[in-house]
Amino acid sequence: MIVASYVLVCLAALGFGYRLLAGPSLTDRVIGIDGLLIVGITAIVLRAMETGEGAFLPVTLVVTLVGFVSTAVVARFIEGRGR
Amino acid sequence: MGPALALLGAALTLLAAIGVVRFPDVLARMHALTKASTVGVVLALLGGAVTLDHPNDVTTLLLAAALQLLTLPVAANLMSRATYMARGIASHVDGVDELAEHRASEEVDAGPGSAPAPDAPAHGSRVRRSGDDATQ
Repeated sequence: MIVASYVLVCLAALGFGYRLLAGPSLTDRVIGIDGLLIVGITAIVLRAMETGEGAFLPVTLVVTLVGFVSTAVVARFIEGRGR
Repeated sequence: MGPALALLGAALTLLAAIGVVRFPDVLARMHALTKASTVGVVLALLGGAVTLDHPNDVTTLLLAAALQLLTLPVAANLMSRATYMARGIASHVDGVDELAEHRASEEVDAGPGSAPAPDAPAHGSRVRRSGDDATQ
């Protein structure tokens, strides 16, 4: 069941990567980055469930906070820049 | 139970990715990402918290789930508001548009007293720029 979760998450990463590369506006690229961060968090959790070892789990906290702050900063940037 | 929750979370993340790829509008893509992937990542983190044994791992996963629930909608709100304000993107807002009404009422309030021309202040320059780069 964890292998099936890996497959689904990899397909999701392909979709988010397509939006990151091809998205016509800066907002689309931020959407792709956010999705890829979520995919990374899910992959870390799946790895911890597979091996039973939680050494990488604090990375999920760091990625969560860094993703929020970076999204807020890019939002201010878009609002001032106008595109 | 834990792997089933993780599988459900991964499926919701895949649904969010499909929506992000296929939806025609920026705000619709933001909608797909923030709804589905919030629930998806929280389900995956809860699945990990159910599966793992050590208290450090469980508390870390629960704290990460709580932070995701707090921060992802706020970040999506900031991004969609900035996108709407910048108007560099062809966004099709149907029906009730409360943000436009709010901005119009603000301009009426600030208009006759402070500025003679409605396009003169910095707020109006942002509005005027909206017509220039309507292309994507």
